[in-house]
Amino acid sequence: MQKAQRLLDLAALLLRAAEPVSWREIQEQFPEDYAGTGEAAIRKFERDKAELLELGIPVRWVQGDEDLPAGYVLDRDEFYLPDLKLAPEDLALLYVSGSAALAQGAFPYAKDLAHAMNKLSFAARAAGSFETLGSSAQALSSGAAGDSGGGDVASRLEELSTAVALKKRVHLVYGGAERAASTERDVDPYGLHQSHGAWFVVGYCHLRKALRTFHVGRILELSVNAAAPRTPDFAPPAGFRLSEHATREPWEFAVHPPVRAKVWLDAPVAPEARASFGPRAAVKDEEGGATVELETTNSEALVRHVLSLERAEIVQPKALRVRARAVLAELAKRCA
Amino acid sequence: MSPRAVKSGASTPAARAAKAAKAAKAAKPGKSGAARAKAPPPKDARDRLRRVLFLVPYAVKNPGIPVKELAQRCGVSEAELLEDLDFLLGVGCPPFAPDDFLDLYVEGDRVYVALHQSLTRPPRFTESEAAALAAAARALGGEGAERAVEALRESVPRDRRKSFDELVGRIYAGSPPAPNSVLGRLRRAVAERREVRLRYFTPSRSEEKDRVVRPYTIAQQFGHWYLFGHDAARGKAIPFRLDRVRSADVLDTRFEPPTAAELARARLFSEPAGDAVRIRLDPLAARWALARPGLRVVERAEDGGATVEIQGASDDWATRFALSFGGGAEVVAPPAARRHFAEAVRRALGRY
Repeated sequence: MQKAQRLLDLAALLLRAAEPVSWREIQEQFPEDYAGTGEAAIRKFERDKAELLELGIPVRWVQGDEDLPAGYVLDRDEFYLPDLKLAPEDLALLYVSGSAALAQGAFPYAKDLAHAMNKLSFAARAAGSFETLGSSAQALSSGAAGDSGGGDVASRLEELSTAVALKKRVHLVYGGAERAASTERDVDPYGLHQSHGAWFVVGYCHLRKALRTFHVGRILELSVNAAAPRTPDFAPPAGFRLSEHATREPWEFAVHPPVRAKVWLDAPVAPEARASFGPRAAVKDEEGGATVELETTNSEALVRHVLSLERAEIVQPKALRVRARAVLAELAKRCA
Repeated sequence: MSPRAVKSGASTPAARAAKAAKAAKAAKPGKSGAARAKAPPPKDARDRLRRVLFLVPYAVKNPGIPVKELAQRCGVSEAELLEDLDFLLGVGCPPFAPDDFLDLYVEGDRVYVALHQSLTRPPRFTESEAAALAAAARALGGEGAERAVEALRESVPRDRRKSFDELVGRIYAGSPPAPNSVLGRLRRAVAERREVRLRYFTPSRSEEKDRVVRPYTIAQQFGHWYLFGHDAARGKAIPFRLDRVRSADVLDTRFEPPTAAELARARLFSEPAGDAVRIRLDPLAARWALARPGLRVVERAEDGGATVEIQGASDDWATRFALSFGGGAEVVAPPAARRHFAEAVRRALGRY
C-alpha cells in the first residue's frame, strides 16, 4: 500500500477507536504492511508513527489497566488543532505578520508558514474578518518585493531552513562583498535572521574556524550534506544566542579594535534615524537636535550610515570626519 | 466504534476488494477519472498528506466549496486537487466496510463531503509551522506578542514542544519597528476597527504632527512596516511608516472597513510615475546592491560595477540609498534626481 494512504488509514483507525488498539489488531488490519512477527514490522510501524508525529499527529502507547487494554491511542484532544483562545489583537498579529511574511516570497519554512496560515482558520473564532485582514496585508505587502533574484533567495532559504532544523552541514560558494573572488566553505548553520529586508545565515564557518554571518542573497551555490539526513552533523554551542547576532549593526562587525564615536542628528530627529543606531547606542536630546554615542568596530560602515541619514554628522573621532569629507569631496567632484 | 467492532469487520481481502471497487466506482465520472492515470511522484507524499489533512476538514466546514477556490486555498492546480480527491477515495478506516472510507465528491464543480471519518479539524501545528508563524509574529511584536507565541506553542503536539522552542530560537525575522505600546495599540485598533490618533513624523516636511487615521491593516515592503489606513485630514488611504509613529491612542470612534475587494486593489504606494531613477555603482557597491530586491540592472561594467534602475523611487530616497554606499554609488538620472543628489552631497560636505 502507498505510504501516504497507509498513514491516513492508520490515523483514521486510531481516531475512531474508543479504546487503545493493540499491536496485534493493527497488524491484522494492515497485513501487507506490518506482516510478520519480527523486529522489521515494528520498526516500520515506529517509523510511520514518527512521520505522523511530524505531521502534527501524536500517536502514543498506553499501558493497559483493569478497564482498558494496552495499545496505541490517538486522543482527539491531542490530535485536533485546538482553538488558540487569543484576543482579537493577538489574532490580528498572527494574521497580519504571517500574511506579510508569505508575501515576501522569501521566508524560512515558507511552505510550513502557508500551511499554518491555512490551519489558522480552524484555530480562531470569527476567522473570517481576520482572514480579510490577512489577505489585504498580503496583497499590500507583495508586488514590489523581490523581482530580481527573489526566487533564488526563497529556494536557498528553504534549503537552509531544513538544514537549520535538522542540523545538517552545508557547503557554500559565496560571493564576498569586500573581496572580489568567491570562496567555498563548509558551514554549520545555527540560525537565520532578517535585517533591513535581507536574510542572513549565521553559523560556524569551517574555512575561517569561527562564527560567521552570510548574506543569503550572495550565496552562489548551496548544497546540504545528504548523508544520514536524520542524524545531526553538529550541535550549536549552548551559549549561542541568535538575537545577539541578528541585532548587530554593520558598524559593529569585527573589523578593527573598538573606537568611540559621536554623531549629531539635526532636529527634528526622525524616529527611525534615532532607532537606526541600534539598542547599544546612547541617544541624548539636546538643543537643536540629538547626539548619539556609540562604539564601532567597523568605522567605514558607520560613515556610510551617517551619510545616508543626510541630516546627520560625525562629530568624533576626527579620523572619521576626515574620511567622511574625503568621500563627499570625491562625490562632489564627480557631480560638478 | 470499539476495537472489538474493528476486529469483527469484513475479512481483509474482502475489504480491500470493496475498497478497490469503491474507488473504481467513484473514479468513473468525468474529470477525476482522467486524473487518476497519473500517479504522484513518491517525493511529494508528505506534501500531499499535509495538504489533505487540511483539505478534508476545510471541505467539511465549507460544503459545496468551488473546486477552484479549494485548489487555490491548498496551493495546487485544479487538476492536482482532483488527483487528491481521487487519492482520498482510497483512504479509510479498517475494516474497510463501504462506510469506512472517506467520501468526497465533485458535483457541478463544487466539492462535497459525504463521509469524513472524523477528519473534521486539521491536526495540530507541526513545530516548523508554529515556529515560522511565531518568528513572523515576533518581528512585528508589540505588547502581547508573547501571548500569541505561547498559544502557538500549546498548539504543537506535546512531544514536539521542545523542538518548537529550539526552532523558534533559530529564526529571527527582524526587530519590532516601533515601541511595544504603539504596536500593541495599533493591532487592537485594527482588530476592533477603531480610529487612532498618531503622533507621526513626516520626513519631507521634517515635522511631527497628530493624525487621525482609520487603521485598515498593517503591511510590509522593502523591509519596512507600514500602517495602511484612511487619513482624515487628507481624505484618502495612505501608508504610515511604523518606525515614524511616536505614539498612538485608540479612539472610541468605530468605522466600517473597506470591502475585501477594495482592499485587495489597494496599494501601499501609487503607481510609479515618470522616469525610473538610475544609480551607478562601483564594483564593491554593486556586490552589495544587487543582492537587494527591486533593482533592475541596466548595464554591467567590465570591472563588476553596474548601473541599476529603480522604479518609483523618490529623489530623496534615491539620494539616501546612493549615499549609503559611502562614495561607491551616485544618482545619474533623471536630471532632477541627479541635481537633488548633487545638492545633498554639497550640503553634507559643508558640514565637514
